Amino acid sequence: MIEMHNVSKVFRTDVVQTHALRDLSLKVEPGEFVAITGHSGSGKTTFLNVAGLLEELDGGRYTFDGQDVSRLTDNQRSGIRSEKIGFIFQGFNLIPDLNVYHNVEAPLYYRRMSGPERHRRITAALDRVGLSTRTKHIPAQLSGGQQQRVAIARAICGDPRVILADEPTGNLDTTMSEQIMDLLLEINAAGTTILMVTHNPELAQRVHRQFHIVDGQIDQIHQFKRFQAVTTAAV
Amino acid sequence: MFFHDLQLALRSLRRNPFLSALMIGAIAVGIAASMIAITLYHARAGHPIPWKEDKLFAVTLDTRDDGPPESFERHPEYPPFQLTYRDARALYASDIPIHSVMMYRSGQVLSPDNKNIKPFGVTTRLTTADFFPMFDVPFIYGSGWARAEDDAPGAVVVLSKFINDKIFGGANSVGREVVLDGRPYRVVGVIAAWVPRPKYYDLNNWGGWEIPEEVYISFGWYRALRLSPHGNVNCVSRSAKIEGPDALLTQECVWLQYWVEFRNRSDRDRYQAFVDNYTNEGRRHGRFPRKNNNRIVAVQTWLSMYDVVGDDSRMQLALGFVFLGVCILNTLGLMLAKFLTAAPICGLRRALGARRSDIIRQHLIEVIVVGLLGGAVGMALTLGGLGFLKVLMFSARLAHSDNPDRVALVQSFVHMDLSVMLAAIGLSLLTGVLAGLYPAVRIGRLAPATFLKTQ
Repeated sequence: MIEMHNVSKVFRTDVVQTHALRDLSLKVEPGEFVAITGHSGSGKTTFLNVAGLLEELDGGRYTFDGQDVSRLTDNQRSGIRSEKIGFIFQGFNLIPDLNVYHNVEAPLYYRRMSGPERHRRITAALDRVGLSTRTKHIPAQLSGGQQQRVAIARAICGDPRVILADEPTGNLDTTMSEQIMDLLLEINAAGTTILMVTHNPELAQRVHRQFHIVDGQIDQIHQFKRFQAVTTAAV
Repeated sequence: MFFHDLQLALRSLRRNPFLSALMIGAIAVGIAASMIAITLYHARAGHPIPWKEDKLFAVTLDTRDDGPPESFERHPEYPPFQLTYRDARALYASDIPIHSVMMYRSGQVLSPDNKNIKPFGVTTRLTTADFFPMFDVPFIYGSGWARAEDDAPGAVVVLSKFINDKIFGGANSVGREVVLDGRPYRVVGVIAAWVPRPKYYDLNNWGGWEIPEEVYISFGWYRALRLSPHGNVNCVSRSAKIEGPDALLTQECVWLQYWVEFRNRSDRDRYQAFVDNYTNEGRRHGRFPRKNNNRIVAVQTWLSMYDVVGDDSRMQLALGFVFLGVCILNTLGLMLAKFLTAAPICGLRRALGARRSDIIRQHLIEVIVVGLLGGAVGMALTLGGLGFLKVLMFSARLAHSDNPDRVALVQSFVHMDLSVMLAAIGLSLLTGVLAGLYPAVRIGRLAPATFLKTQ
């Protein structure tokens, strides 16, 4: 699903250049749930941004869903993000003056979906995260856990191939974190590949594999669960 | 997508009402300043008779001494805008034009038949008969007089609608009598409400920004009545002397307006040759000391040559646009600040799949909404400003006038017509886009990942 070979990313200013990713190589199978761990500044978020086509890579090769995406135009990257990638952020990143329904609807606009199709997907996604009765609420009227559920609904409503989650439980208490993790596991069990950056070692051990990043490179890989690769067959 | 973007724009404006109001206000003030300038300029710069632009011509001859320009001459390169009596009479003999008019403005006292109305002063135009067909003067009753009466004038008169309303109550007065300076005249025609803007055929008095005369009699009456010109009389030769009753008939003094109408371009060229021959011949007899500078010019050129629009109007227009430019720059700064504040949400939208063009379009729609709202407020400010100007600039002219034509003329200076309103809408859109294009593109080009952590 995601395959990186010697990927590097450098941030440059007038006086300093920072190697955020150094010859990073990894392979994530379709349907796999992977945790990315590492200390602050190790390059986790940069890795997630590169994986999510939010940042261009400076070197190496990146194959996403069988397509070489190393040198795509901005529009092509936007297209892939829109069709195949869902994002979940630590700070939820909901649009504060939109209600739950319209927050979930936001990415569907950029796929030029019809109104009824958008409605069907939004309803299904909110049902799945248990917020179908909160459609009119604005984010400020929801708890942190509920806001993250809205963000998850927004991420899954487009039926993405991959969800990239940047510390999705970082702002939540333990109970809420568990609930969100359960929800992500449930989504993964349905076939969606998930890459999750986390500082929480307990959560990291509930996934298939854990990549530990140090100084922009994969330092260790831990296998926690046996992963059965997803195969698709024509119906 | 358009309605979605429109919803986002309105939501964005509501999110920060103070900043939105500042932007709308800045555009409104700029639009109002420029629209007031455009309205004033437009009122002055319009063509008073566009359908005759290639047929109607003013005639000027350079009869001046060959000396340095006089201090009052703004454009010494142009001949005086009026003719001497001698030259006007000579040109009038030509049969090349289909219509020729020599004329001037004067004044008389009209004594109404109705004893309830006291005698009162009227402005009079002494003109040859072609004035009415040449300038397409509209009549409500009757018509002008025959050309035969130019030299052997009959006691006939054409009245303006205002005078006919005043002394005959608006009735058909053709055939009735009016008394001017004690002499009876028979009414042959009554002109409909008619206010050419400017009064291009006579640039005396307010530089052409005056209403037409109230009474018209044949030019042939000049010899008998010796009515003095109510306009500039410029003696263009040092040897000229204004002494005795016939001075204006014989001296090198210009005081007559002279216009011709041609069938086609070749007639105009023939006439130019005729006029040049006339001045060449005059030069052989000691007149026209300068080389030929005879100008036969169409209305638009004529108005331009003699500064009818005026540098002050152009200056006002330029200042209006400079002010609009300042307002656009201010709005640009405000929009940039507003859009950059919303950068994290734009980053989020990019992450959710929005293309750069989606972000730019969304923000452009917002700036267009701001532009249109600014335009609407600006239009209201414009109407208020024009009303204020009317009081400030023209109240004195209106205070002593019971003539609706004069009121109409003054109104026209501060009237926003449809074309100006359409220009205001276009300008509002343009202003919004000019002020918002850079901020919209800037926000669209931000790297989406930059603000996601801070959102």
